[in-house]
Amino acid sequence: MKNFVHYRFTLLVIATVLILPLIVSSGTLATEVLIFALAALGCNLLLGYTGLMSFGQGIFLGLGSYATGLSLLHLHVSLLPSLLIAMLVGAIVALAVGWFSIRQRGTYFVMLTLAFAQMFYFLAYTLKDITGGDNGLLNIPRPNLSLLGMTLLPTTTPWQYYSFVAVVFVLMFWLLQRVVDSVLGQTLLAIRENETRAAAVGYNITLFKLAAFVLSGAVTGLAGGLHAMMTGIAPLSNIEYHASESILIMTVIGGTGNLFASVLGAAFYVLIGNWLSSLWPRWLMLLGFLLIAVSLYMHKGLYGLAQSILQRLKRPRADAVEAVNSVASKETH
Amino acid sequence: MNIYLLQVANGIGIGMLYFLLAVGLSIVFGLLRFVNFSHGAFYLLGAYFSFQLGQMGLSFWWSLLVAPLVIGLFAWIVEKFVLRHIYALPHHFHILFTVGLALVVQEAVISYWGPLGNNISPPDILQGVVMFGDFIFPKYRLFVIAVTAVMALLLWWVLEGTRLGAIVRAGSESTEMVSLLGLNIDRIFSLVFALGAITAGLAGALAAPIRGVDPFMGVEALGIAFVVVVIGGLGSFFGALAGGILVGIVQSLMSTIWSEGAHLMIYVAMAAVMLLRPNGLFGRSS
Repeated sequence: MKNFVHYRFTLLVIATVLILPLIVSSGTLATEVLIFALAALGCNLLLGYTGLMSFGQGIFLGLGSYATGLSLLHLHVSLLPSLLIAMLVGAIVALAVGWFSIRQRGTYFVMLTLAFAQMFYFLAYTLKDITGGDNGLLNIPRPNLSLLGMTLLPTTTPWQYYSFVAVVFVLMFWLLQRVVDSVLGQTLLAIRENETRAAAVGYNITLFKLAAFVLSGAVTGLAGGLHAMMTGIAPLSNIEYHASESILIMTVIGGTGNLFASVLGAAFYVLIGNWLSSLWPRWLMLLGFLLIAVSLYMHKGLYGLAQSILQRLKRPRADAVEAVNSVASKETH
Repeated sequence: MNIYLLQVANGIGIGMLYFLLAVGLSIVFGLLRFVNFSHGAFYLLGAYFSFQLGQMGLSFWWSLLVAPLVIGLFAWIVEKFVLRHIYALPHHFHILFTVGLALVVQEAVISYWGPLGNNISPPDILQGVVMFGDFIFPKYRLFVIAVTAVMALLLWWVLEGTRLGAIVRAGSESTEMVSLLGLNIDRIFSLVFALGAITAGLAGALAAPIRGVDPFMGVEALGIAFVVVVIGGLGSFFGALAGGILVGIVQSLMSTIWSEGAHLMIYVAMAAVMLLRPNGLFGRSS
């Protein structure tokens, strides 16, 4: 039972990954949900656990797509190495961007990440020979998952690719859940709650923030790589301001400070967006209103909303059990 | 040599426009401790209102006056009825709210005026060029420099020479102290927020004949305004001026040397300044 509580979010994610094909008819759409959920996880790690609001997540998404695309097109590497390269590029660039940005706090930090996002956008736009400029990188192949020449998992059809992405996603989620439950994650939370106090206790805040940044960059880079293989192109739009904005919006609408909330946020954004955009091309306006509503009334996002509804449905006795459970689970940490 | 001199002059023109764009963002932050992500949307609206008024047959001069005022009114209403209720929240809720507002404005612009760009021609009297010896300069750009210079002087006078300016400056040190002195800080907040929107709107209206109007100019402007205040230092009037002109000259010079990378170099300049002075040229440590 204790184990079940401990892994409840990972189990929830496994359930989500299994249910998604039942409610979404298109494999590509379902894959897109998982890919953006991955990007939102990276964003949540910064915003929800470290208190850093980054408008630069599109940098890592875009560079991840280019890295995977270029390595598949020119180096002819196989599936996993191309994704590793995307993660590595994401991590390295996040180290550089983070090194500049985290020396500033609060709003200055936010502005800097946005300025960096613009910088990388114009870089990608300018280096047309490498990135394909406006057209993006085209005809990116999607290799099968193979080991020593044996195909372990074909990725030809959308649903085959979905199952590969699902495995990667569950693995990454489990890993990140481990990270936020670890000493590192708890230290990040301490920094979020009170930076000055965390510094006074003796933590090297800069180092911890950088670690969060690098981790976030790697995860988002992976998302970018998976996205490039899904669509067969690495478009300029992955590195645009709107990519950064979308990732942040998904994270916030889902709710910060809980990783599973990001899965909810991404699913909501991608699925509702897909449905609404077929009805009304200007659906982003509704999203803007939703964002206004979240900032005014719904600070914990969809996850917080679901939580408070569940709380109200539960009888008082169940509340007591929950309280005992949460105390018990805290003691095991 | 002449071409570089021309580009520097051109850069000052663009730079003054960038100053006008960024100064409102900076002043609003100084007083309200609030980064306004919808600042670019005010600029966007300024450009489109001016375009619309032109379509309706109003002269350019009127649209230059009316468009910024309408946006100021809009901002004033937003501040009065919504923003003031979220000042107490952590800063990322301010950002979310203004990002949401910017998104709504941008989509509204697209649904009303369409996703494609439009051109605006400057009034007849400002078309063509002026010549100083062998130095040729477009009339409209000269006009922009003049207007923005007048606006800069006016703003400087308001901030340094008037009672309102004294209150704003005091408020950026301590809003509690100002309200303890019996001044209505809420009204001043609304006023300053509206003033910031008016300057952004005017920048948009002035920029429209130079670069045309398109629905995504707001995002671009927001990026540039951020660079200007990061270079100059948040909350500083002279920082916005120095940052704006620096960014303008860098962009303008680069467009002759390496036109593709002109926009990129703005951000490189920002990174360079940050390495030397993390709080910006005129910034106080945060």
